[in-house]
Amino acid sequence: MATAKELSDFLESIERRAFKQTAYAVRDDHAALDIVQDAMMKLAIKYADKTTAEFPMLFQRILQNTMRDYWRRQKVRNLWTTLLSSFGGSAENGDERDPLETIDVEDGSDEPSAQLVRSQTIQLVERALEKLPARQREAFILRYWEELGVAETAAVMGCSGGSVKTHCSRAVHSLAKALKNKV
Amino acid sequence: MSTSENNADQMNGELDRNMLEANDLTESQVAHYVVDLLDHHAQHLTAVTAKRLSVARSLAVNQVARQQTANHSGVLSWLGDQIEHHRTMSTAVVVVAMLLAFYAAQHFSSNANLENSDAFLLASDLPPEAYADKGFDTWLVSKTD
Repeated sequence: MATAKELSDFLESIERRAFKQTAYAVRDDHAALDIVQDAMMKLAIKYADKTTAEFPMLFQRILQNTMRDYWRRQKVRNLWTTLLSSFGGSAENGDERDPLETIDVEDGSDEPSAQLVRSQTIQLVERALEKLPARQREAFILRYWEELGVAETAAVMGCSGGSVKTHCSRAVHSLAKALKNKV
Repeated sequence: MSTSENNADQMNGELDRNMLEANDLTESQVAHYVVDLLDHHAQHLTAVTAKRLSVARSLAVNQVARQQTANHSGVLSWLGDQIEHHRTMSTAVVVVAMLLAFYAAQHFSSNANLENSDAFLLASDLPPEAYADKGFDTWLVSKTD
């Protein structure tokens, strides 16, 4: 059974990647934060008795399922929003933005040109990732970013190992194409 | 990060771009190039996002700490329950034993009473049937006369 300290260390090691991964999928930072928080709580409540070695796969599975729940809720909510949208104006225009949200936590790179190149490339990669079909993105992130094995990725995604390889290959080709177009 | 590291980063970026241009990157290399970029970007979240993630993590860890404390006290309460249960059971056994002893004592004393009354009746002058016979009183009076 994992201790609170072990769980904390594990969550700290994956929280940023989990957030970005979720943000690429749902394209909404606030929703992504909620989803990651839900996934963390579910892991803590239901699987705290597991060993730390089991945490990565369990967390990914929980995260994927929480994302699917979010999409289901969004589907229903969008239906009602569409139906009721004609009765009210958009609230987004009146939203105030928190200036803290736009401040990056220390960026180690001081060289403006390096920052610019990296920033442009990352934007390109992020856009390409967002454009990928959901299953390809999921497979790519689990397999390469989370460094899960083919079998583990297949278990999390609920598909065969062959499908994982196919999704990964297509995702990488799409990303490579996007990068080549840029250069 | 120092200037030399920045330059190295920049050179690596250029190298990667050249490799992409040369079209000789394997699938794995492209994947790792992208993952490096994503990793780097993920380390530079906004302060609000980083804070929010930290709070979420704390909530989850506190939840586990609470569960572990509850489990610990759960074991103690289970032990207490067992002891209490044994105490109740012991009391019940003692009460049942006392009732059985009382019943046995009553049983034996009533037998002794019956034996005593039988002995008294057998030892008396008149047989017990004489007192139940309706003609006995008449016979007794006539005998007296």
